[in-house]
This record gives sequence, structure tokens and C-alpha cells, in this order.
Amino acid sequence: MKKVLIIEDDSFLQGLEASKIEKEGYSIITASSGEEAMKKIYEPGIDIVLLDLILPNFDGFEILKKIKEVEELKNIPVIVFSNLSEEKSIKKSKELGAIDFMVKSNFTLDELVKHINTILK
Amino acid sequence: MEEIEKLKKENELLKKINENKSDIISITAHQLRTSLSALKWIFKMFIDEDLGKLNNEQNELIQKAYNSNERMLTLINDLLTLSHSEDASITYNFKKIDFLYLVEQTLFEFSGETNKKGIELIFLRPETPLPLINCDEEMIRVVIQNLVENSIKYSNTGGKVFVSLSQKENNIQISIRDSGIGISQRDENNIFQKFFRAPNAIEKDVIGSGLGLFTTKNIIEKHNGKIWFENKEGQGTIFFVTLPII
Repeated sequence: MKKVLIIEDDSFLQGLEASKIEKEGYSIITASSGEEAMKKIYEPGIDIVLLDLILPNFDGFEILKKIKEVEELKNIPVIVFSNLSEEKSIKKSKELGAIDFMVKSNFTLDELVKHINTILK
Repeated sequence: MEEIEKLKKENELLKKINENKSDIISITAHQLRTSLSALKWIFKMFIDEDLGKLNNEQNELIQKAYNSNERMLTLINDLLTLSHSEDASITYNFKKIDFLYLVEQTLFEFSGETNKKGIELIFLRPETPLPLINCDEEMIRVVIQNLVENSIKYSNTGGKVFVSLSQKENNIQISIRDSGIGISQRDENNIFQKFFRAPNAIEKDVIGSGLGLFTTKNIIEKHNGKIWFENKEGQGTIFFVTLPII
């Protein structure tokens, strides 16, 4: 079973994302703050990370930077899943190595899962 | 000299105010979208009957709630784009770009939408290479997106949308032709007005904010370009945009 790390501080959204992705056959780990995420990224067997940008403690950019700096983590695909949409955030995410930038409100959870499936195919 | 220094300081202050305004708009939009994302996902779960079977009345109401939520999201997206486009003197980033490449890239993003609606998006490439143009790439991308999105939205299932690109004297011209609902004669003078929505578009229940074409025109004019259209109600519309070659 493939493992998804969901980094999302809004507990309601996190619950909806986790329940949908789990239903589609993935195992889930969650982190609700930047600090928690910085620990959870080292859990073994993570296949993909879903990363919010505005988080307490460390923001999503710092987490993304860390993932791409660490040799054993740098190949894990990271989808930035945020409700920010300005060009500077998209550009920065791509520069830091995100595989994609999805604006949450533009997608249904079905579309999100399809996207994860395609990346992990 | 004193006068120049004073103007410089005032300019800096205006820049700061503008940056603050942009940050406030961006954070507000983020917060609104967060709540609306939750609603969108929950309504969709009901529509897909993930939470149990619905009767016809429930289904119809949830579908209406979903569409209403989508309208709010469209309005937020369009307000963000409008806010960005109106900050022209400060935030536009002009550089030389390959317009053909930009159009190809932008059209590629529509493949999901055209498949969903059963619409064929046809790109007629220019016969000769095009010179570079000086523009803000992201804002011109918004122009192409808005016009193509409208053509798809207002086309009937199975319709075709043609995009063509050519050089006309000292300008590059892009045209987007659809076979959609068209614009009625009485609305022709209003379609570039802020918040205007044509009655035949509202009747068709097409989601829109009335800001797309206003923003599009605003961006094109900031590039010293022009936008106009030819149209027959019920038979479709062709939008033309010209942008000056450097």
C-alpha cells in the first residue's frame, strides 16, 4: 500500500483529504504544523507528500526545501496543495522542486486522487 | 533636486501601500477559498452519493448549492486577477517572449476541460515564424485563458473552438472563434463592462462573474493592444486581440 503524507493545518480539510485518499487505497500519515511535518517527513516509506503552504512554525516552502535537501528524501514527489495562487508562490514552489502546484479550491478530491494516481503510476 | 527626492519618497510609499493591499487581498482570498474548498468537497461527496443515496429533490438542491459555491470561487479568482491587472505600473513584468510558445502552452492546459465537454479545440498555427513581443507573460496568459475559457463555456457540447495566430503589419493577432450562444445585439456595447453578464449567458446557467472580459481588456490596453469581436447571436463569436511587435 502506497503511503501519502498530508501536511495540512486545517483539521477539517485534513480530515476530508485523508478520508478520500484512504478510501482510494492509500495509507495516510498527517501533520498539522510545520514542526510536526519536519519530524514526519523522516518516517519510512513515504511515496508522496501533499503540502499546504501556510502552516504554523515552519511554512510549506521551508518544509519543501528541507525535503529536497536531504539525500534520502529528495526523490519523494511533493504536490503543493494550497489556496494561495499568486505567481510568486507557484514559481517558488517549482524552483524548490515541487512536482506540481494545485490550488485546492480549483479541484475536487476525486481530481486530487486521480492526480496522485498519475504521479505514482 | 529636492522635488525629485520628494517624488521618490512618495513613490516608495505608494509601492509599500500597494504591496500591503496586495497582501491583504491575497490572504483574504486564501481564507475565503479555504472555507469554500471544504463546502465544494462536501457537496461533491453528496452529489457522488459517497454519503448515501439522495432523492431527486435532495440531489437538485445539492447541485444548486455546489454551483452557487462555484460562482463564489469564480468571483474570488476573477477579483484576484483583476486586482493584479490593475496594479499595472508596479507589478507588470514586461519582457520579450515567444507568443506562439505561450499560446501552445496555455491551450495545452485546456485538454481536460474540452474532453469533459466534448469540445474540439483546434489551433491553426501561423504560416510564417512570428517575431517576439514585449509583454507580461503571466498577464497575457490570463488573456488567452479568459478568451478560450469563455469560448468553451458558451459552446454547446460537440462544438469546435478555433484559435489562430498571425502577423498583421506591426502587430501579432490572435483570434478565438466559437460556435456558441453568441452575444445579442443589445448587449454588444456592454460586454467589456465590469460585472456585466449577458442575459443569454445567465439563462444558460453558465458560471461567471462578469469580470473576465473587463480584466482582459484592461490587460490588453496596458500592452497598447486592442480587442474587439464579431458576432452573430446563436451562431457564435470571434474575438480578436492584437499586440504590438517590439
